[in-house]
Amino acid sequence: MGRKRARNALTLIACLALVMFVAACGGSSNDSPSTSTPAQANTSGGGKVELNAIFLPATWGTVVKDTLAPQYEKETGVKVNVQLIARDAIHEKMATLFAAKDSSFDIFNLDYNWIPEFAGAGHLADMGDVVPAADRQDFFPLSLKVATWNEKLYGIPQTVHPALLWYRRDLYQDPKIMAQYKQSTGDELKAPATMDEWRKQVEFFNGKTFNGKKVYGWVAQAQKGFANVHTWLNFLYTYGGKPFNADFTQSTLNTPQGQQATAMWAGMSKFMPPGANSVTYDLVTAAAQQGQVATALHWSWGAFAVDDPKSSKTVGDWAYTQVPSASAGQPSHPHLAEWVISVSNYSKHQAEAKKFAAWLETKKNDVVQASLGGGDPVRLSSYDSPTLMDEKVKGTDQLRFRRLPEVKKAMETAQPRPFFPLEERWEQVVSTPLQSISLGRSSVEEGLKQADQDVDSSLNR
Amino acid sequence: MLPGLLFLVGFAIYPTVYSLITSFYRWNLNNPLGKQWGGWHNYDILLKDPAFWHSVWVTVRYVALSVVIQLGLGLGLALLFFRRFPGDRILRAMLMLPMVVAPVVVGLLWRFMLNAQFGIVNYVVEQLGFTRIDFLGEPGWALPTLILIDVWQWTPFVFLIMLAALQGIPEDILEAARVDGAKPWRIFWDHILPLLRYPIAVAVALRLIDAFRVYDLIYMTTRGGPLDETETLSWQIYDAGFRSFDIGYAAAFSWLMLILVVVVTTVFLRLMLRKEDLS
Repeated sequence: MGRKRARNALTLIACLALVMFVAACGGSSNDSPSTSTPAQANTSGGGKVELNAIFLPATWGTVVKDTLAPQYEKETGVKVNVQLIARDAIHEKMATLFAAKDSSFDIFNLDYNWIPEFAGAGHLADMGDVVPAADRQDFFPLSLKVATWNEKLYGIPQTVHPALLWYRRDLYQDPKIMAQYKQSTGDELKAPATMDEWRKQVEFFNGKTFNGKKVYGWVAQAQKGFANVHTWLNFLYTYGGKPFNADFTQSTLNTPQGQQATAMWAGMSKFMPPGANSVTYDLVTAAAQQGQVATALHWSWGAFAVDDPKSSKTVGDWAYTQVPSASAGQPSHPHLAEWVISVSNYSKHQAEAKKFAAWLETKKNDVVQASLGGGDPVRLSSYDSPTLMDEKVKGTDQLRFRRLPEVKKAMETAQPRPFFPLEERWEQVVSTPLQSISLGRSSVEEGLKQADQDVDSSLNR
Repeated sequence: MLPGLLFLVGFAIYPTVYSLITSFYRWNLNNPLGKQWGGWHNYDILLKDPAFWHSVWVTVRYVALSVVIQLGLGLGLALLFFRRFPGDRILRAMLMLPMVVAPVVVGLLWRFMLNAQFGIVNYVVEQLGFTRIDFLGEPGWALPTLILIDVWQWTPFVFLIMLAALQGIPEDILEAARVDGAKPWRIFWDHILPLLRYPIAVAVALRLIDAFRVYDLIYMTTRGGPLDETETLSWQIYDAGFRSFDIGYAAAFSWLMLILVVVVTTVFLRLMLRKEDLS
């Protein structure tokens, strides 16, 4: 009995040691071979290359999956398997796959703020060789800048959507409402050029009933997390605030510009529909579709949803203009959203993967994607394309892509999120004190001071 | 025995030991420098961080309130269903439904139903003459709302255990009490409740452990907000591990949570059970 026990104990210890040894060899080494097995080597039975890609389940992801990838296979024989995965899940998946140097996926759709994080860690392939210098002239310069890290291009821009100010054309051009506004404020009702004008307008519209429908002043993303930060950045940038010092070692939110911007943003939150603290992208879109608001601060790309007669009661009613500026004559600085296509440094088919990524963003396909509803184009030439510029919304006299001239203009002054490897963490940290300000739990100065402290201590963790 | 041991080592002991070792490293998945030994660094930061203690407080409130309410409701429902009545089987099956729905779906469902603008709950609130409530976005409302959602989903689980336990009580004990003239309340207090001690201990221990881990519901509804009102331990661990990829920090966080769960569960079981039961 005693011998048997001792033997069992020995076996257990041996097993433990073996498992620990195997795991230690595989887990901690930086130069361990890829975990991909031959079966995962991305070649189909006939020896043809097969690529695996992850895209966002937004329209630009579905367009790639349903239309462009099948077309690419027809043209080249290269099959591209596209998985659509939500934003947070893409981020998680990339980090864990990359940590294991896994080659299962060749192509990733990235939110541009992940470029410093993943390129800085050496996980992304240099895409410079598939976008020649001459061709780069056709892309928005900013779209390439945010796909670049340490002077190397790590992603091909797939879609840009700077924030725009959306306003209800039907309300703004209604003679009765225009007269009411004039009587109430002494000003003409027109698309606001400055933040003060906009605030006056949202205050005027908020809570009033027009054509039997109660309307609120404005709506924008405001839920804790990235949502409220993404809205607030439009104000911060427009008022000249900067989140960090030049080398991202110190948070610089509590400045006169930061305070002015945050005060305007927080002051306007009372003119949003009930439940503003929980408002996410979907709810902004829903409020716009239902005609619940007079104005909205929203991504340009989201405009496709309000012209969809299946889900919208405001088809053709929305017009788009620049985010209002801090003072007359000054440009505003909208917050940039952009998704890029990158190739994994661990892909066994990097050359093929890069070819596909580049093919997705040829001049022709940039227009094709946009016309299929896959997000706003990244090439300047696409903004002159008759395919996009002349098409009308069915049943209306409104241009389907009437937002594009404003998108093009916004791209001249748009600003990206803080472009450094810890940006995702920064958004999470800064989000709570910002919500505290918008809820009136802390003053603007206290909240921004707290935000500075929280960011600094978090970055030094 | 060997396959069992291998399974235990591979799927329980090894990951546990590995996470413990990891908790002593400063390790961010995207840091090109890789792992660096940090000793007690992660624990030191955590224990000095007010956000950590706040998340402990949020979690304890969430767990305590949701489990107590679930126990009360589950036991009450079990007593109601103890005696047969017409249609009880259909009702019982319907009561079970929330338990079989995935927590992610539950979160999404309630998020839409509670929405301040379009949700059906707020429609009813407004029809009753009250102003709309931002259940998931208003500080003061968010945590109680999450507790109620958890109660809605998991009361059936407690109910099921209680009902099975009630049906296992020998009828002659209850009959004898009745013959002796005991009132229903005395029968419940003196006879039924003592006999339910073990099932209650099992149900509460399982619910305690599960409630401590709440994450998916928060992910789908409040994402830790408003402010930090619903930032539970699990949410903070997710945030550190899967948004910032601070694996060492998240592992230390997990170990502190594990200690808390073990302490709370052990104290509860010691209070509920006799010494000889535990041994």
